[in-house]
Amino acid sequence: MLIVDDHPGFRAQARALLAAAGYEVVGEAADGKSAVGVARDLSPDVVLLDIQLPDISGFDVAYLVGGRPDPPAIVLISSRDASDYGRRIERSGARGFIAKAELSARTLAAVLGRTGP
Amino acid sequence: MTGRRWGLLALGLALLGWIIGGEWVSIHAHVPENHFIDALPGLSFLLAGLVALDRRPSSRIGRLMIAYVVVSYLGNWGNLQVPAAPAIGSSIGQQLGGAILAHMALSYPTGRLRTRFERAVIGAIYGVAGLTSLVILLAFDPRAAGCAQCAWEPAPFPSKTAVLTANLVAQRAGFILVPLFLAAAWLRWRRATPAERRELAPLWAVVGVVGLVDLLGAFSSPYPDAQSFAYLIWELQNVLYVSVPIVFLWGLLSTRLARSAVGDLVIELDKPLPPGALRACLARALGDPSLEVLYARHGLDGWVDAGGQPRSAPESVSAQQARTVTTVERDGRPLAALIHDPALDPGLVQAAAAAAGMSIANERLQAEVRAQLEEVRASRQRIVEAGDAERRRVERNIHDGAQQRMATLALSLAMLRDSASRDPAMAASLDQVAAELRHAIAELRELARGIHPAILTEEGLPAAVEALADRSALPVRVLADFDERLPGPIEAIAYFVVAEALANVTKYACASGARVELSRCNGTLRVQVADDGIGGADATRGSGLRGLEDRVSAVRGSFRVENPPGGGTLVLAEIPL
Repeated sequence: MLIVDDHPGFRAQARALLAAAGYEVVGEAADGKSAVGVARDLSPDVVLLDIQLPDISGFDVAYLVGGRPDPPAIVLISSRDASDYGRRIERSGARGFIAKAELSARTLAAVLGRTGP
Repeated sequence: MTGRRWGLLALGLALLGWIIGGEWVSIHAHVPENHFIDALPGLSFLLAGLVALDRRPSSRIGRLMIAYVVVSYLGNWGNLQVPAAPAIGSSIGQQLGGAILAHMALSYPTGRLRTRFERAVIGAIYGVAGLTSLVILLAFDPRAAGCAQCAWEPAPFPSKTAVLTANLVAQRAGFILVPLFLAAAWLRWRRATPAERRELAPLWAVVGVVGLVDLLGAFSSPYPDAQSFAYLIWELQNVLYVSVPIVFLWGLLSTRLARSAVGDLVIELDKPLPPGALRACLARALGDPSLEVLYARHGLDGWVDAGGQPRSAPESVSAQQARTVTTVERDGRPLAALIHDPALDPGLVQAAAAAAGMSIANERLQAEVRAQLEEVRASRQRIVEAGDAERRRVERNIHDGAQQRMATLALSLAMLRDSASRDPAMAASLDQVAAELRHAIAELRELARGIHPAILTEEGLPAAVEALADRSALPVRVLADFDERLPGPIEAIAYFVVAEALANVTKYACASGARVELSRCNGTLRVQVADDGIGGADATRGSGLRGLEDRVSAVRGSFRVENPPGGGTLVLAEIPL
């Protein structure tokens, strides 16, 4: 799994939470452009992708990463609500959306359509 | 009487003597013509020339008229039985008159030729006339021409052939010079401004008269014992010539007539004028449709038009467009500037400005108020826009700061809760903290959305209104006839109109549903929120609707709340894009 978020505190907590649930976190990125590079280099199965990034938006990253052959499953996250983004989440090609405060192994599995890592 | 006028009187008397003396010489030489009719054009030119010199000293037309009188009666003085007189009379006297008339016509009303072409044409006319005069002066032999009574010295180089050739050359040159003169006059007319054209109108009358006289010249004869028809034509020619200086003089003095238009202006301005009508009144009175009036803003060094719109300084306008500026002042302070055709008589413009003084002062005050209103409106719009930008910034700060920290906190709490699963009391406490945190997160999210919805920034107005409808407690139907983005402040104002209206529907209307319509038409965004409730909403009461009305009108939009006869409430905002 690749975690993309510009807040180091959140990345650390998410990494700990998901590692405890059995996910292997292979990398982290703090902005959109490095996320695209890391995703290309590490070929993760899942990208946990914050929508609000300091350079390009998470939707742009999803478009760039999702356009590659054998793309990873992209799960968008935000401290805002899904309704704050309208249909952009649907159109982004991401597997789904999780509000950051709701992030857990259970909600992630629900979005990915599997029972666990 | 001033010295100048005494001088003019003396000149007048001298030239009166010149004309009468010329006729007296002709009578004594038994020239068989009507001496009274022969004197008439000269008297007319003399009188008009003197009046022109007196009233329009800056114009050279008066001097040209006087010159014409002197030259055209040389012919009569040629009958004097003294050496050289007949030669001078029949050379200069007969040749130069026409050249002076042409000069007068083309240089009217200032008496100054303007273009190189005009100077070339008039120069050529004088040149041909001068050369012909010179040849005649040197070669004319009246005895050879059949004058048996002529008892004076012949010319220095008597030659009948030279005289005939000179006359022929002059005649042929006329075939070229007359069309060139007409072309110069036509060019003059083409370049003229409307005010100049009015001034030039007498010139055309004169050109017409002189043309007619010249055409008739072929049939005329000054001698009554010749054919009576030819003599009649000669009389007609002289009468027509009488009109030439009168027409010139009328044109020169016509600004006096224009002053009566200023008199009409005074009457017109006596009644109240609608805004901006003063310009039209002044333009009419001065006969300059392109006239502009700018008003000075006191204390600000700026200029505005009647509508209060800022304008560049009159001096720069006049420099760019070759216009003349007449500044209207009161108590030493500039009140207004009239930007007008340079051909207008400065005295007339001053008279019109003085006549319209009170109206100009009034309209200046109105323009000042309009300018201030416009500034207030613009600053109000800037305040609303700055407010929107600030709301956007606050929402972003909440998102980047508190919301992030609370989300991270929620994750930490979830992990803590997992590790405390073996301690039921601790687990229960942590569950309670987590529930509180979820509430806090939800409330903060709602607060941020109320400050400025992220979806409006991300997706634009129709999507943001759809999201609003989805969250509404009542069924809300959204119809939008556009999908594109609008300017940020407009989107925000329209969004908050819908949000406030829908909140009111939910709280007070007892409605079963609502309908939101967003449409763009003729550069205006129309936002309409209708419900089927009990009605009774009033924009003048309640701070929510009042605040919306203020925001909409700050961007020059209109806002109203209606209670249609069929029931329900209709909130309608129209915002120019």
